[in-house]
Amino acid sequence: MTKAQDKPAAGARPADEPATGARPADEALAGVRPGDERAGAAAGAAVGVAKAPTAIAESSGGVVATLFRFQSVFGLLAVFVAAIIFSPRRDGAILFVSADNLANVVRAVSEIGIIAIGMTFVILIGGIDLSVGAVLGLAAVGSAVLMVESDWGFLPSVVLVLAIGLVFGALQGMATAMIGIQSFIVTLAGLQIARGLARIWSDGQGVAIAYGNGPHEAPDSFAILGERTFGGLVPIPVLIFAVVAIAAVVFLRVSAFSRHLYAVGGNEKAARLSGVPVVRVKVAVFAICGLLASLAGIVHAVQLNQGSPNDGIGYELDAIAAVVIGGTSLAGGRGSVAGTVAGALLLGVLNNILALNNIDSNIQLLIKGLVIVAAAALQRLRPAS
Amino acid sequence: MRKLQAPLAAAAVAALVLAGCGTTSDRTSDTPQAQNSKECKGADGKYTIGMSQANVAEPYRQRMDDDILAAAKEVPQFEVKFADAAQDNAKQVADVENYITQQIDLLIISPNEAKPLTAVVKKAYDKGIPVLVLDRKVEGDAYTGFIGGDNVQIGTEAGKYIAEKLLPNGGNVVELKGLAGATPQTERHDGFIAGIKGNPKVKVIASASGDWLREKGQAQMDALLKANPKIDVVYSHNDPMAEGAYLAAKAVGREKEMKFTGIDALPIPSGGIKAVEQGRLSATFTYPTNGKEAIAAAKKILVDCGTIEKSQTLQTRLIDESNAAAIYAEENPTG
Repeated sequence: MTKAQDKPAAGARPADEPATGARPADEALAGVRPGDERAGAAAGAAVGVAKAPTAIAESSGGVVATLFRFQSVFGLLAVFVAAIIFSPRRDGAILFVSADNLANVVRAVSEIGIIAIGMTFVILIGGIDLSVGAVLGLAAVGSAVLMVESDWGFLPSVVLVLAIGLVFGALQGMATAMIGIQSFIVTLAGLQIARGLARIWSDGQGVAIAYGNGPHEAPDSFAILGERTFGGLVPIPVLIFAVVAIAAVVFLRVSAFSRHLYAVGGNEKAARLSGVPVVRVKVAVFAICGLLASLAGIVHAVQLNQGSPNDGIGYELDAIAAVVIGGTSLAGGRGSVAGTVAGALLLGVLNNILALNNIDSNIQLLIKGLVIVAAAALQRLRPAS
Repeated sequence: MRKLQAPLAAAAVAALVLAGCGTTSDRTSDTPQAQNSKECKGADGKYTIGMSQANVAEPYRQRMDDDILAAAKEVPQFEVKFADAAQDNAKQVADVENYITQQIDLLIISPNEAKPLTAVVKKAYDKGIPVLVLDRKVEGDAYTGFIGGDNVQIGTEAGKYIAEKLLPNGGNVVELKGLAGATPQTERHDGFIAGIKGNPKVKVIASASGDWLREKGQAQMDALLKANPKIDVVYSHNDPMAEGAYLAAKAVGREKEMKFTGIDALPIPSGGIKAVEQGRLSATFTYPTNGKEAIAAAKKILVDCGTIEKSQTLQTRLIDESNAAAIYAEENPTG
């Protein structure tokens, strides 16, 4: 199994730590990094050895390990401080930390952030979802067409669009879990299908959203979502992003599902042998990812007053970048939603400070690429707890 | 210790969010009040101009940026910054917001799409930043001036040229369209249909979308050639797709059977004017980048403290073998 290469786990443990045996249960544990969102305990419970991994996590702290574990948070802080230092100033004021600008930063990362949270779940089970940008486009088109052209109410439109994302994701999950096609391939196809559906549904045109109570207008009562801020303070997308992030973190902490998630990502075979419903977990994870992508699509459409079939091109790559910078291993089994949130914010701050300094857009691409490589390199250096 | 991770990140998010929202009210007061109430500093001032480009992947748009930069070099008071939205409306909104944060003196924007950019352009305009909109419009009238070509007119000219000059006795036309959903695509099509109306014997027998791209134009033409044994003219919404179609026809030895027309006529070695000069295209129609005109307007507003026309439409020019070399030399004297 190639995954083993990325996890120097069992074999590389320091001698003073509890030895791991060769039972399948321990294989599952080996793939899971203690310390990631209850991962150790989670996988442990999943395979019926509850205590041992927790003990490992407790005993192997250390400053270095901590630094690595909070890599994305420290990275975010470092980029944030650098942004303050390198920020252009106007009349003595540091432009980067102006309230307007920080609001812009968080608003700009919100859509990618929402998608990236869904992507984190998928990557945690060792999969990938390339369809999220296209699903965002489909959802943006869907909400605009339903509300404006079909004169649906806001709520039914949103519910249907979310359901489409959910079902789309679930179907992709089934294709990968039941037929056994790699998720890369399934979602690559899904990308094309969602983009095609978006173009068909919208006749290839951007559909403008106007608010009002007349025909072909989205209902006035919901125009608040189209406002750029909630109560003049919090940008709406940020509010939604924050709610999704908190919900995801809480969900991973309290639900039994998270144990299964990390177990599948750690070692799918062992997880299956120890009774984890692998197919169900996979379908659910892709469904969640599709749901969040379509939520981001609704946010996108409402913010831009338009749903266009070309929305969200390339967003999947930004989302994957946020996840990777957030410290989640592409091999699965290791990572966290909080890391992803920090990763998304890091990218947002980086984008913003580069733009404020008018760095050439081609150089910006270069710098972002290097940051992603650096984050991935840190992953490799991370000690095996 | 491991439980610290999530709360820490959450706290960071919260801090960011709070920092982003806490002091909005006291910041807005020190921005300039009403629009255009800024005192004009005239020739003594130093001005930063922000240019927000929809994308630089298309040669036409890179040329627009280049034209702006070249024209701005002639005005010592100007410094121009460039942002590339990479065809993403959301990114372009963020780009403009960054310019507002930087308190630029004038915004030039070539919007990716009208509707999504309208609000942020209005925001800049309401903050007293003069806004010049190039090529593609925004909605409403919250901008200082619009400078652009008329795509309907260009399409019409192309249609007339094909109906009168290339196919006076009628014939079969295939149309290679730009990216579905893009306004110029719709307008270049509508104008074309109006332009060929005068000659009912001209028939559009097929159309396909090449997304403005040379390779897509070529691939689409491959299929069109197979499906249509008799094609007399290929009307392409831009020069790169026309070149792609020419290559596809040449590959099956049919390039002499038909004529090709394009639009844009960039005065660069890979542009449409050279293609006409070298005989691959029968004609192309200039679609001015407006870079020079935008800087002239900016100079009028900032340096001369004057006003400009709200809307300025630049005329298209027909380029065929008779004038291609001369126009190329005129527009691109160095190469």
